[in-house]
Amino acid sequence: MKHTLKYIFSICLVFSLFLVQAQETTTLKNTIDSTSTEAIIPDNGNLKTVKLPEEQQQVVVPAKTNRYGLRVGVDLYKLTRGLYDSDYKGIEFVGDYRLTKKYYLAAELGNENKTTDDTRLNFTTKGSYLKAGFDYNAYENWLDMENIISIGLRYGFSTFNQELNSYKIYNANPYFGEIPSIASGEKFNGLTASWIEVVAGVKAKVFDNVFMGFSLRLNLLVSNKTPDNFENLYIPGFNRTYDGDFGVGFNYTVSYFIPLYKKKVEAVVVPKKPQPKR
Amino acid sequence: MKKIILLVLAIAFTFSGCEKDDICDADTITTPRLVISFYDINNPSELKSVTDLTIIGEGKTEGITFNESTLVNGSTVSIPLKIDADATSFSFILNYGNSDTALVNEDELKLNYSRENVFVSRACGFKTEFTLDPITPYVHTDAAVADEKWIQYIAVKNSTIDNENETHLEIYF
Repeated sequence: MKHTLKYIFSICLVFSLFLVQAQETTTLKNTIDSTSTEAIIPDNGNLKTVKLPEEQQQVVVPAKTNRYGLRVGVDLYKLTRGLYDSDYKGIEFVGDYRLTKKYYLAAELGNENKTTDDTRLNFTTKGSYLKAGFDYNAYENWLDMENIISIGLRYGFSTFNQELNSYKIYNANPYFGEIPSIASGEKFNGLTASWIEVVAGVKAKVFDNVFMGFSLRLNLLVSNKTPDNFENLYIPGFNRTYDGDFGVGFNYTVSYFIPLYKKKVEAVVVPKKPQPKR
Repeated sequence: MKKIILLVLAIAFTFSGCEKDDICDADTITTPRLVISFYDINNPSELKSVTDLTIIGEGKTEGITFNESTLVNGSTVSIPLKIDADATSFSFILNYGNSDTALVNEDELKLNYSRENVFVSRACGFKTEFTLDPITPYVHTDAAVADEKWIQYIAVKNSTIDNENETHLEIYF
């Protein structure tokens, strides 16, 4: 429930960013209207439509440029969770590099230290992870907007260790009474796991070069080196494991775009609209 | 595109709701009980039913409930072992509560074993598996009130107790 609420709040925040952008675009729309081939000239109080000279009808939109560069940022969710959750410490850096108009190389690098307190188990997972892959931007930006609605793939790899703090023995026949949790302290070192991640994300430019983003991830375990007499119930970067190989994740990022070079977009001639015959 | 995002969202919400909800499935093999089968001493290949047998663990006043009754009338019984000690003593009382006190007979059985805690799952936690001591798996004595032992012979069938599908101990009387 707690997690569901977090998702809703984050979605609302991302949507609020879009509202900011929406206002900007209305002003931009007016400049497009300037390509109108008709002008209205007041003539003794009577409005009269006058045809503009022929040369002016072929208006070419100024050459559009796309900025290419590196975007680096940090996951705010992981960063701030440590402030209110004493069982969690984590950080995740995100980065992407624009390869072509639509494709971005993307990566996440993180470290987590999480103590999971379940009803029957209490264990601490510590480790680092790296995810690398690409994002495909499916959003068609207007003019110089640089927003992203993307779908992408990552390959994730994590190296970590686990410590079993305490556990309970399941006894369906507690004739001699339930016994309390047993302290363990057993350590499982040198564990690794790798997975494939499908990422659906949104990044919105809030102001110059600063982006706020949000992404949802579906993970599928590829390899999982489990310890003897225990399981990898939490994998840094992958998050909680379930009975199957699937997992989910999300992040909420703020990032800074470092422009490296610009590329001109092919000038587009706005096609003349057929004049209605009178 | 929008459909994909919606799908990912829907699946993510489904999974996020699962946290902490998982309950240990009753069919999962967890801490097993010791399974005892009763045989006829005169005809050792034949199972023999006990009558109104009550098994009371050490330090307890209530008998072990088996098939919703503390009185066992049948040829097999499963009893839980202590998961925080390496030995458990039981009183095996035949014809428990019978008005004819001459029929009531009590024997003491102490079982020695080693334990191992094995991981099951997130929902179930761990289970304990037992191995009966290879040298002295049990100590059979008569009760404080000497009334001759009703158990004639005890045999260990399976010293490893990791499920309840097989007999671990055979009692001949």
